[in-house]
Amino acid sequence: MSKKFTFLFVMLVISSMVLAACQPEVITETVEVPVEVEVEKEVEVIKEVEVEVPTKTLVFSSRLFSPPREQEFFINEIIKPFEEEHGVIVNFQIIDDQTLLDRAEVQQTTDHITTDIVVAHNSRMPEWIEAGWVEDLTDVVAGWDDRHFSEAFVTDTNKDGAQYFLPVGADVYLLLANNKALPYLPDGVELDTITWEQYAAWAVAVAEAEGEGKVCITGIPMKSWIYMFGGTALSYGAGFPDASSAGAMDAWKVWETIGKAQGFVPTVMNIDSCVDPMMREESWLTVFHNARAGQVYASNETQFTLAPAPTGPVGTGSIAGVSGYAVMKGSANYDLAIEFLEYLTRPDVQVKLAKGTGGFIPPVQEAIDYLGDEAIDEVINKAVLVLENGVVSGVPGGNYQDWGAVKACFDDVFEDTILTGADVTQERLDAAQTCVDDLLN
Amino acid sequence: MNRKTKKTVYKAVKETIFYLFVTGLIGAMLLPVYFIISLSFLSTREAYRYPLPLVPALQTKFEMTHGERGYLLSVYDRVEKDYQTVLDTSELEKMEVYIKSQLGTSISQEEIQAEMDRLDDSGEDSIFFTKPRNLLYNYDTFFKVTRDAVPALIRSLEIAALTILISITIGGLAGYAFARYIFKGKDALKFSVLFVRMFPGVAIALPMVIILAKANLYDEPLGLSLIYSVGAIGLTIWITASIFMGIPESLEQAAQVFGATKFQAFMRITFPLALPGLAASAMYTFLGAWNETVGAIILTQFKPTFSVVVYQTLLGASGQVNLAAAGGIAMALPAVFFTFFIRRYINQMWGGVTV
Amino acid sequence: MAATKPKSLRKKLEKATPYLLVLPVVAYYAIFWLRPVIAVVIGSLTDANGALTLHNFAMVLNDEKFWPAFNNTAIIVVASVTIEFIGALFLALLINRKFFGSSIFLFLTLIPMALPAVATGAMWITGFTAHGWLNSLLYYLGFLAEGDKIYWLGGLEANTFKLLVLVILVDAWQVIPSMMIILLAGLQNLPEETKEAGYVFGGNYMTVLRKITMPMLRPTIQTAVILRLISAIQIWLIIVLLLGFGRLPVLVERIVYYHEEVPGLDISYQMSAGYTIIVSVIVSLTALVYLRASGAFKKEEAA
Repeated sequence: MSKKFTFLFVMLVISSMVLAACQPEVITETVEVPVEVEVEKEVEVIKEVEVEVPTKTLVFSSRLFSPPREQEFFINEIIKPFEEEHGVIVNFQIIDDQTLLDRAEVQQTTDHITTDIVVAHNSRMPEWIEAGWVEDLTDVVAGWDDRHFSEAFVTDTNKDGAQYFLPVGADVYLLLANNKALPYLPDGVELDTITWEQYAAWAVAVAEAEGEGKVCITGIPMKSWIYMFGGTALSYGAGFPDASSAGAMDAWKVWETIGKAQGFVPTVMNIDSCVDPMMREESWLTVFHNARAGQVYASNETQFTLAPAPTGPVGTGSIAGVSGYAVMKGSANYDLAIEFLEYLTRPDVQVKLAKGTGGFIPPVQEAIDYLGDEAIDEVINKAVLVLENGVVSGVPGGNYQDWGAVKACFDDVFEDTILTGADVTQERLDAAQTCVDDLLN
Repeated sequence: MNRKTKKTVYKAVKETIFYLFVTGLIGAMLLPVYFIISLSFLSTREAYRYPLPLVPALQTKFEMTHGERGYLLSVYDRVEKDYQTVLDTSELEKMEVYIKSQLGTSISQEEIQAEMDRLDDSGEDSIFFTKPRNLLYNYDTFFKVTRDAVPALIRSLEIAALTILISITIGGLAGYAFARYIFKGKDALKFSVLFVRMFPGVAIALPMVIILAKANLYDEPLGLSLIYSVGAIGLTIWITASIFMGIPESLEQAAQVFGATKFQAFMRITFPLALPGLAASAMYTFLGAWNETVGAIILTQFKPTFSVVVYQTLLGASGQVNLAAAGGIAMALPAVFFTFFIRRYINQMWGGVTV
Repeated sequence: MAATKPKSLRKKLEKATPYLLVLPVVAYYAIFWLRPVIAVVIGSLTDANGALTLHNFAMVLNDEKFWPAFNNTAIIVVASVTIEFIGALFLALLINRKFFGSSIFLFLTLIPMALPAVATGAMWITGFTAHGWLNSLLYYLGFLAEGDKIYWLGGLEANTFKLLVLVILVDAWQVIPSMMIILLAGLQNLPEETKEAGYVFGGNYMTVLRKITMPMLRPTIQTAVILRLISAIQIWLIIVLLLGFGRLPVLVERIVYYHEEVPGLDISYQMSAGYTIIVSVIVSLTALVYLRASGAFKKEEAA
């Protein structure tokens, strides 16, 4: 019996090692071939051109395009044409912002730079730039005259006049409603011009009629509540992040109305993204991230309605975010990386990307001309409306010690005041503002 | 005679009750597992219905009418027991993609076109048709999106095997020493090896990874197994020590009396008896190495483990919980197979071996 | 004289044997583990400017979430180790009866332990949500009227006790099998004869269990409990998966919080290092107390 065990065990070890050894020997210099189909294609290309140079691999680590359907699209429709044209391989990997930074730290401190291009969220860009882990792309960008990046995000992508990140996939907030909520819409209210007060009244009407709140916000700490509230605050002329100004107070009052009527979905404290509760129809109303709103909308266009975010006295407020491409400092494939970025930021490619991935806004001014009038364009169009005509603000993450902690200051007000149905007092808001200001760098 | 039948009946009843109890117990324990498996076969639409269907549908029933934008598609809903609208479009490709991705049903554009024509020609308000579900759609998608799934899987097995090898050799030796010898500082040492597990691993994951990267073990399976062994060794020592303690030393001594060396006595007597313990710690080690993601993401680049590629696929899978379920199952399967294989060593059938 | 010399050498060698057997472990830890740990210890004792201080620990102890985290951890540890031990022992004894099909039964009970976090996460999140499978099942079984819902993870009011119970049960579900296999492995080695002797002398199942099986199983029980104790104090992942950070604070969750959720604060590193040291002290003390109380060390001293 023991012999059998030992034998099986040794076999397991040996077979796994043999199997591992069977992979191409050249693995470190060349390839980790993404998909089998691509192997064939690669071979074909090489045959045609009859080059014997080993295939270059570009390592592309991204926080963006993480939903599996978006990954599939990005790999097949965006990366493949580039790979075929240049006879290279792009190793595309999804990694969240924090892990990406951790990994960069390991690579930079031990001088094993294996990642070539990173995609970070604009709130994390300052960390990258300050650590000196990304290349200065100012001169490269100056050489491209067919595209102009949207001005909305320069505070994050640039530092001291130098550009480090190239923006991609911008987002704003949109109103998404389950059609079951439409009968409760107050008389005379048009969804495309709805105000925040009307939105609150609508939410209250739904809660009263259904006996249960139906508004979704992300109640799990340090998710998107700060952005959801930020949109309201901007609509009332407040800044961002601003918890206590007169405009902010007006914005809190909107949410106070919903809270007092128990208008939030009962599971609100366990929601980290409104996608699932909206799809399960646990919640019916929300104002959230356009790409995710587009995802829910696409799951059943006849069941959901999309509209720009509600407006306030100074317009439609929305937080706008963006991701950005950057080249890792010390990348061995710098030139190829630049070529790939040139390709990715072309206006037509940006539009293709925006459409294929469900409604991100292409942050290149020229790209907006390429939009058509299909259903997905509707989502992008509404988002562009908010971005262009609205009162938008980026995320000034770099001004604070830690953005997650700033988010928590706002989460606390929601948890102890709005959700409990208490009155919003200036005192509470001043405390929240102190909480935010204490985190200033 | 009468008494004997009574006894047989009594025994049969007792056994039936016992097996009913065991079945009920296992049913209750595995109920959540059933739902996650069932979820992995549901279409996205069904996975978000409430109440959730208990079993996946085998076919999708459609109704097609004229809509505002083109053709209005409805599907039969098992919860509402009625047709519900899902899509209003005249684009063939859009309809095909929708039916495939949201309803997990395969249909070609020609077939859709044929149904549209049938509706137009019939003059009726609506037509009905049924298509079989593609039950494996989520698994299909999962493996399509997950790059390098097979090499990563092999690599993960290799890492797990290496980790078992390292921790059983190093840990088993120490475990034997703690069980069989009395020496100065034993308690302190035995406690210190456990301290490795007491120190929260999250706090030192990154520095440990940096040490390995500096030792040129970045992106090497061996590097990861060295890290995983740190936690596994302490555990192996304690499990093996307690098992060796349970095996009477007299058995080994008896063998030595018959001329066996200490090593032979160990291999012939103690080792087989300790197998359940070794198997138990191997199982711990395997599962730990198999499921670990945090260190593996940072320490790999071109040679990711299976847990890393699964993580990368599912990171953004909100709104696709059925896909997450399929990914979770795909990842659990090798571990479940390993469990199936090793369980026989944990539950040996021979009972007490005699010399 | 000539005869004694090799003998003393041999004796010396014999004395050294246990140390030689333990040496690889010590070397291994020295290389891969010790340096990062020392770095954290130093980090916990220095402020942001690198000066030596005990202020970090004061900061941790004054953290408003420290005592809730401590209490929650304590409750989880006591309840879950107890429940898991009883459950695991019960299952191990059941399987050790080697009834027809016990091998398959063993395999099936091990499945929860083999599931990765992505599977358990998806499983419980879709289970506990208001429109999830648990409520669906209750509805199909007739326990829930149409439109009724149970808010498993709490409705609008947070209820710590309810959340604790849920976390303990979910954790037990996954952990019982892993504790069970250690106990089962230990049960395999018990000589049947002793037990039979117990029955011969008129003991019933319970007395044999209490008087013979349990004492002989003691080293295994100690191992199973100590290993579980150590990881129960460090529970965090399942809590964060279900509830996010901060909702039900526990000690290690605080470390991860400062490490990953708010890594940029001036005090983040000091807080996570401080928490780390405090947690390891708590775990070691608990382990020591348990080992002393259960007599794991006593035996050696006597011998």
